[in-house]
Amino acid sequence: MFSKSTILNTNNTFKVLVRYKRTKGSGEVNAATQKIVNQLSVLSASRKQPKLLNLCNEDLIKHKTIMNAWNLFKSKKNLKREEQLRKQYESMKNAMEDLKNTNKHLYKLANSKPNKKEVDLFPIEMRIPTDYPPTIPWIYSYKPRK
Amino acid sequence: MNSRHFIRQFSQTTTNLKTGYSTVLPVHHLVKVEKAKLKPCYSEVVIPSDDIRSNKFKPTEIDQDRVQDHYYNTLESDLLLKFYEHDSKTIPGLKKREWGTDSPFKVFRKGKRKPKGSAIETQDIIPINYQNIPKLNSIVINSYNKNALERPWMNICTRLQLATITNKKPKILYNKSNILPWKVRRGKECGAKVELFDREMNQFITTLTEIVLPRLRAFEGIKLTSGDTNGNITFGLNADDILLFPEIENFQELYPNLNGMDITFKTSARTDQQAKTLLSSYGFPFYKPVKNSG
Repeated sequence: MFSKSTILNTNNTFKVLVRYKRTKGSGEVNAATQKIVNQLSVLSASRKQPKLLNLCNEDLIKHKTIMNAWNLFKSKKNLKREEQLRKQYESMKNAMEDLKNTNKHLYKLANSKPNKKEVDLFPIEMRIPTDYPPTIPWIYSYKPRK
Repeated sequence: MNSRHFIRQFSQTTTNLKTGYSTVLPVHHLVKVEKAKLKPCYSEVVIPSDDIRSNKFKPTEIDQDRVQDHYYNTLESDLLLKFYEHDSKTIPGLKKREWGTDSPFKVFRKGKRKPKGSAIETQDIIPINYQNIPKLNSIVINSYNKNALERPWMNICTRLQLATITNKKPKILYNKSNILPWKVRRGKECGAKVELFDREMNQFITTLTEIVLPRLRAFEGIKLTSGDTNGNITFGLNADDILLFPEIENFQELYPNLNGMDITFKTSARTDQQAKTLLSSYGFPFYKPVKNSG
């Protein structure tokens, strides 16, 4: 738009625009900026996706068969788990019904609701199982924290 | 009064938070034509993402998920026993009310009246049976970076931080309103968030309970007062605490601008009480905050 040098008149002061050596798009950035650019490139998805698997027809059928079997195995396991929970629920319900008909006092104790603000917490020592046992497998003199 | 403004488009109906200067909406660019359904050469795109032939396929079940196993083997039945109440009935939650017609001023009121004794609606509390045992649905990690308002490059650091911790690409948060003293401008980037499900969520839980939280000196636990009354529990971590995540710990010089984050556990429990019991079973400690007197 402008020629090599242009003179602009703004508010009665003359400003001379001169072209100097280009510094912006030269490809060299300072270290701090480069760090941010690196961070941004980590976030972007380019060149991070592994190559698409090209399965032959036989391999594809094999894969599908295995996945079907695995899904069937999982669904059976889930059904079994749900059935177990249902049985537990039914037996709890029956036991409480029984207690209700036999002893009112015990039933009241067994069915007492906790205070609305009190939270019933699991002990902090309880841990998610790992492949190997913990260094202290069992705390014999366990007392709950207060 | 409502500062949100809805731009009706063919392509989307969600709130548009980004500021723009175009008054004419270029609809023809925004309407996505599913060419896969039109042209036979795009048949590859139709393949669902969980199919191995799809370019979006990502193998998920590659190892044992011990947190999930623990929940199914032990916690589920324990929780059922713990929450069982005989002859319990559904307790209706607080719902929004009608304004009534006794006054002419109430006729043209917008929306419904807020519930009695509460600012928000609460869920109906359904008695626990074998089909609705509380479980963890997802974890939302939200990191609001107010420094990014003045220096936008700071948001890249926050996004990268979340991405390295969770192994998932975070979503950028944008300001919703203009608040001058806080330098908050509508449409500005102000942080990032990630929502974790299933295996990624369980992986994050083990990292928290086994590596990060036990090594925090000042950490007493999650506050017993936290929760949004509908069974979602939140707690926060400082920028200093985030250094303890194993992905960041050994590469501290690569993450100079860490930002604190809020971690929200979304559970299917109907009350905070039940949600806290559920979280404690995963090994999260809780503590009762002491009230300051005077």
